[in-house]
Amino acid sequence: MITFPGPVSALVTLPVPADRDGIARVLGLERFARDALPDVRATIPAFNRLLIEGAPHSWDPEEVEALLTAAAKECVRGTPPEPETGGPVSLPACYDPDLAPDLADLAASRGLSVAEVARLHSRAQYVVLATGFAPGFAYLGDLDARIAMPRLPTPRRRVEAGSVGIADRRTGIYPAAGPGGWRLIGRVPPALFADATERISRFRAEGTVEFRAIDRKTYQAECE
Amino acid sequence: MSPHGVVDRPGPFCTIQDLGRRTGRRAGLAPGGAMDQRSYLWANRLLGNQPAAPALEVTLGGFALRFAVATVVAITGEGCAATLDGVETGTWRTVRAQPGQQLRLGYGSTGMRTYVAFPGGLEAPTAFGSASAVVRDGMPGLLGRCFRPGEQLRWHAPDYRCPVRRLPEDLIPPVPDSLSVPLVTGYEWLDFATTDRRRVFDAGWTVDPASDRTATRLAGPALTTGPRVLDSTPLVDGTVQVTGDGLPLVFMRDRPTIGGYAKLGSVDPIALDTLAQARPGTPVRFVRAEPHALRSSLARRESFFGIGQAD
Repeated sequence: MITFPGPVSALVTLPVPADRDGIARVLGLERFARDALPDVRATIPAFNRLLIEGAPHSWDPEEVEALLTAAAKECVRGTPPEPETGGPVSLPACYDPDLAPDLADLAASRGLSVAEVARLHSRAQYVVLATGFAPGFAYLGDLDARIAMPRLPTPRRRVEAGSVGIADRRTGIYPAAGPGGWRLIGRVPPALFADATERISRFRAEGTVEFRAIDRKTYQAECE
Repeated sequence: MSPHGVVDRPGPFCTIQDLGRRTGRRAGLAPGGAMDQRSYLWANRLLGNQPAAPALEVTLGGFALRFAVATVVAITGEGCAATLDGVETGTWRTVRAQPGQQLRLGYGSTGMRTYVAFPGGLEAPTAFGSASAVVRDGMPGLLGRCFRPGEQLRWHAPDYRCPVRRLPEDLIPPVPDSLSVPLVTGYEWLDFATTDRRRVFDAGWTVDPASDRTATRLAGPALTTGPRVLDSTPLVDGTVQVTGDGLPLVFMRDRPTIGGYAKLGSVDPIALDTLAQARPGTPVRFVRAEPHALRSSLARRESFFGIGQAD
């Protein structure tokens, strides 16, 4: 499906699940769009969607729609290319209610202990389904359904750097302090996000990520 | 290297801005750039600069710059009263300065943001193709923060000379008492309740004091929260998002690249300039817009100021 969210942009939604296979197909469509459409100024792949921004003097919505409709069909039909990723990015995470304001409530509402939430969160291998929102933020999936919860109705004005959040079947780490609406269940030592350039380039769509549970003492040591 | 000027007082929020960055958007970097691009572009045009030369964005006055060289600057935008050594200069014009003279931008009666452009543009580090500061992105140095008192400036062509140039009165954009903002419906628009969709164009809001470079927040009647969005969606400039409290906000230059709340569509990219100058309390209404009309105005602006083609 193709819609036009602004005067010079198109948003393609592929009819595929938002998983590793889905993001691989979207990245294929992105390569095609950059080659085939005139004056592409920016593209943002995310989950099963691709945003394409063009230039006002050459943007022809009918031509864009025709080209993308045909290309999207191809991308859905074919086998997606194998992801070119190395091993998983592995991050230490401390699941301590003092560092994670929503951890106790989430555990209670799910009938789980804090330790069980930590175990369910840290035992999975996640796929980077999108990068963005803020530089160095990666949307990771899929989160175990037993600890999935919707985002907060109103975002917090301030979330600390390194906070591990969850929203529905997604999880992610806030790379810098700022406003945010995800439920906070843990903390990665913020030192890992101190360098702006490293932070921006750590995650790549299609890559994989793991969390290693660490205790409060280890967390404090890593913060020094 | 000796400075060409020193920022004695930066005021509440003074940053370096240009037209922002496109590369890096894929990695989550905000577009950034001058909040009121029209005023910024005129400042560079008055000096014969490249359209995207780095300049200062001064918010609500409180700013003082002491010159160390004989030079010329251009001052455009709103929100301040400009003086040179205590003598009022006016804005939307070039101003000649001698070494030791101090340019002050005091708190003005209308608007929010003033632009000071320098011949050849400010010397400034760039990242991902732009010198624009985005505080929330945390890039190093002046790419990620406001000016502090005593900071030094250099610009590329301090010796540039030109006769005083003023923008003709009829080209100076007005600062309206209330705004009608053209909205292209899109994103989850059709999933909002019919009553909400009607209310978007019938109701009126005001600019909330919590507005900043990230978003113009609106105060007024709440919509129902709208449809649940499962996965965050890539955003375009001027996206109108409805958060959990039912109030719409218009994303501005330092916006996120991806958003997880329901969205009504996006506003005319050119209307962002007017929104950038709207003080808290300014009444705002949305009016329906057709994408092709907005596209023509954008193309005209880009061709007039000579931007966009080479990118």
